[in-house]
Amino acid sequence: MKIINRLRQLISRRRLYNDLSEEMQQHVDEKIEELVATGTLRKEATATARRSFGNVTLIQQDSRDAWRWPALEDFLMDIRVSLRTLRKNPGFAAAAILTLALGIGANTALFSVIDAVLLRPLPFREPGRLVAVHSVDIKDATHGGEISYPAFLDWRSRSHSFEAMSVWTATSLTYTGGDQPESVPGAMVSANLFSTLGVSPVLGRSFTQDEDQPGSDQLAVILSYEFWQSHFGDQTSVLGRALTLDNEKYTVVGVMPARFQFPVQKDRVELWVTIARDLQGKSAMAAQRGVSYLQVLARLRPKVKIPQAQSDVLLVQGQLNRQYPEERPRGVAMESESDQIAGAMRPVLLILLGAVGFVLLIACANVASLLLARATVRQKEFTLRSALGASRWMIVRQLLTESILLAVAGGVLGLLFARWATSALVAAAPEGLARTSDIALDLRVLIFTFVIALATGVLFGLAPALQASRSDAGRILDNSSRGSSSGPGGTRLRSVLVASQLAIAFVLLTGAGLLLRSFDRLQHVDPGFRADHVLTFLLDVPSDRHPGAQRSVFVQQLLQTTRALPGVKSASAVFGLPLSENESVFTATEIEGHAVPRSQRPRVAFRLVESNYFDTMGIRLLQGRAFTPRDEKGGPPLAIINETLARQLFQGENPLGRRIKPNISFGESDEAPMREIVGVTGDVKSGSIGGKTPLEIYAPQTPVDFIGEMTIVVRTSTDPNALVPAIRSLVTTMDKDLPLRRIKTLHEYVSGSISAPRFEALLLGSFAALAIMLTTIGLYGVISYSVVQRTREMGIRVALGAQRGSISSMVLRQGALLALTGTVVGLVTSLFAVRLIRGLLFGIGATDPATFIAVPLLLMSVALLASYIPARRAMRVDPIVALRHE
Amino acid sequence: MKKSEQRDLFPGALEMMILRTLKRQPLHGYALVQHIKRTSNDLLQIEEGSLYPALQRLLKEDLVKAEWSISSTNRRVRIYKLTAAGAKHLEREVSRFEKMLEGITRVLAPGQS
Repeated sequence: MKIINRLRQLISRRRLYNDLSEEMQQHVDEKIEELVATGTLRKEATATARRSFGNVTLIQQDSRDAWRWPALEDFLMDIRVSLRTLRKNPGFAAAAILTLALGIGANTALFSVIDAVLLRPLPFREPGRLVAVHSVDIKDATHGGEISYPAFLDWRSRSHSFEAMSVWTATSLTYTGGDQPESVPGAMVSANLFSTLGVSPVLGRSFTQDEDQPGSDQLAVILSYEFWQSHFGDQTSVLGRALTLDNEKYTVVGVMPARFQFPVQKDRVELWVTIARDLQGKSAMAAQRGVSYLQVLARLRPKVKIPQAQSDVLLVQGQLNRQYPEERPRGVAMESESDQIAGAMRPVLLILLGAVGFVLLIACANVASLLLARATVRQKEFTLRSALGASRWMIVRQLLTESILLAVAGGVLGLLFARWATSALVAAAPEGLARTSDIALDLRVLIFTFVIALATGVLFGLAPALQASRSDAGRILDNSSRGSSSGPGGTRLRSVLVASQLAIAFVLLTGAGLLLRSFDRLQHVDPGFRADHVLTFLLDVPSDRHPGAQRSVFVQQLLQTTRALPGVKSASAVFGLPLSENESVFTATEIEGHAVPRSQRPRVAFRLVESNYFDTMGIRLLQGRAFTPRDEKGGPPLAIINETLARQLFQGENPLGRRIKPNISFGESDEAPMREIVGVTGDVKSGSIGGKTPLEIYAPQTPVDFIGEMTIVVRTSTDPNALVPAIRSLVTTMDKDLPLRRIKTLHEYVSGSISAPRFEALLLGSFAALAIMLTTIGLYGVISYSVVQRTREMGIRVALGAQRGSISSMVLRQGALLALTGTVVGLVTSLFAVRLIRGLLFGIGATDPATFIAVPLLLMSVALLASYIPARRAMRVDPIVALRHE
Repeated sequence: MKKSEQRDLFPGALEMMILRTLKRQPLHGYALVQHIKRTSNDLLQIEEGSLYPALQRLLKEDLVKAEWSISSTNRRVRIYKLTAAGAKHLEREVSRFEKMLEGITRVLAPGQS
């Protein structure tokens, strides 16, 4: 109420003031009349009346003060004055605002990513209690932490720390029922997954416990809201409807809320089915204790902490290790679900946040430097104001208001810049960056921007303001307007600022240089195959429409007709395409004649290939022979091994003719067969471009050894993507219900594998570029300002016979000194700072000599260039003009 | 901004005198000053104008209210009147002042220390 009252008074104040002046006038008049009435002369009476009344202006002001709301009004007045000042210096204002916009915009963009990916709580009930539990292969750290279904059931029933424990695995489902067969991202989950998350469907129900069991003739499916909308409109009649997924009938039992996603990954999951589908049949995946492919999500009981829960599960796992000695022994790792989702991106994003913060610091230093320069010019104004009674605080307040105004304007412009930058960031986001769909410039981001704009304003404004207000009135007013009065303080402060900018820029450039060099190394890694001109797509040949041996016949036919297409050089098929993460099968392997207990056998990646595979992929054959079409008819089981396997397991012996047994069978036979080694291939980067090559075994695909899910690889002589329509229609004529999944060029797999390093290099590179740009501008500003200030001095020097060259080298020397200081400080800081990104580097050390030579050179030359322009101007100083300037 | 108060005897003294005077009868500014001067036997040297800032403060606090009218000398004047809140405020201030005065008097009284 009081505030409203005060505001009302502010508005009706003009009337109050008018009343006041009239009243005071009447007072004086009345006094005069009275004096005149007692016989005083009117002139004298007037004087007396005025004298005894006092200073009218002052009294009026005091009276008005009673009505004022000083804090607000001073603030508004400061803003009015600031706006006027800035409008009068559009060049300065534009430079400052633009600089700040770049700094604040870059920070806002990165913050919006970090907010969505790291900070915002997961959209589940009490997300703090959700944990990811990993089953870790003790001997193989590269193992992803998946668990088998039987082991999961034991964990769930024997542990005590959890309110609920569930499993899931990402998959994709072929939906037939629309116009075209469609491959839909999905997840197979245990029935209690949604209750573990604490999210219920908006329509229908969640899975029931018995839907985890096989046996009922129809399986259950839950749709995402988005899938429901796009495929069934708003119809609630979708509940109970039968969908054909992967050629099986599923009943729709529910629809999840809009925007719900789990697993939280880059591609939104649209369908959820239960584990029941993997429990069907004789050799069901989910029934085997040896097949680990499920991720565990659990909800801790209230007040239970992660270490406690972890040792609980570890106890259970210890029992399992003893109970099943033929399995590889396992341990347990646990992390909060949000850590699991942020994954490896958390440290990267935090490093980038630090980098972008430094960019903002550089921007601040630039603007502070501009303000310092202006403060010298405005010295007279401040002196005059303080002579007229302004306190130091009032001047500081006024200057700070100007700074904050600049910063807020920079923030607004920065938001526009951030909108653009954020979408660029999302487009460049690597595959490991989850929750990118949540990235938005929302209220939280706006608040962040506003806060950093304010903080920025104070940061860059305070020092110049204090400096400016520290004025000695007499001295400066005396000293007409000459620059010599600027005092050394401002110049010294600006030099320190510029040197610090140079040092920061040095550190950022070093980081960016290392990441770029490391990315370059990654790009030039020989993957072991030729990635250009290869189209790949995944084909899941269903066994009900193509039973038994017909499946491999189907693939052979498809390959033959594909090879006949114009532009196709060769075509082949593989189960386990390199760099396609989900397709690898690892299996314990033994070599004939080496008796090793099962739990100690090496893990080997197993791939099934069609006979043209090595040729199509461009994988080198080092020894022996490749597979031939004859091998595919049947006959004795064969294998081709990679170089790493030959080196590690045969250690110099000739592997050709030896026999090896990857422990994998294809249903027809119970026992995995011994395979004769007929060839050795070069190593292929199959897991990731930067990673180590695993031990690998290739086996020929035969009607017996056949996995329905094959990736078709097609080497072309033209743009591989141009062939997609032709191949699609080819597949459709052979089986109209068969979708082409994951159509990608091999090159896309390669670049996907290095998307995280690319993202890191791109971002740190941009920040470093921004930093060096702003720093150059800052340095240029300082040097050219000092040239302007010293025009007179230089004029005198020239007049006294100084060589023009010596004048310009004097200026250059100043720039070089600053650059050198910045470089030395930057170099020392970098040696420590690079430790932060050591883990991100590939193929180079953190103190990569090339980077540490190139960066100082770059920085010094840019710095000299920035000083050269003002130096030339200094050289051309005309002594007459310079002196007349006085 | 606090200068006007320093010209007072002590902070609030002028306000107290104004309120006390207005309690007797509503007056306009000029008459108010004359009355205070006269009553104090010209012992108090009040700058006439200093009345007005004080009046504005009282107005703002709703301790007095003002109304334009025509005086007996046919002059447009602004008559100030004590409000109920003003009366209460005056009472409080006077008692506070008296206590203070008593204290000061005791200290200043000779032969008591």
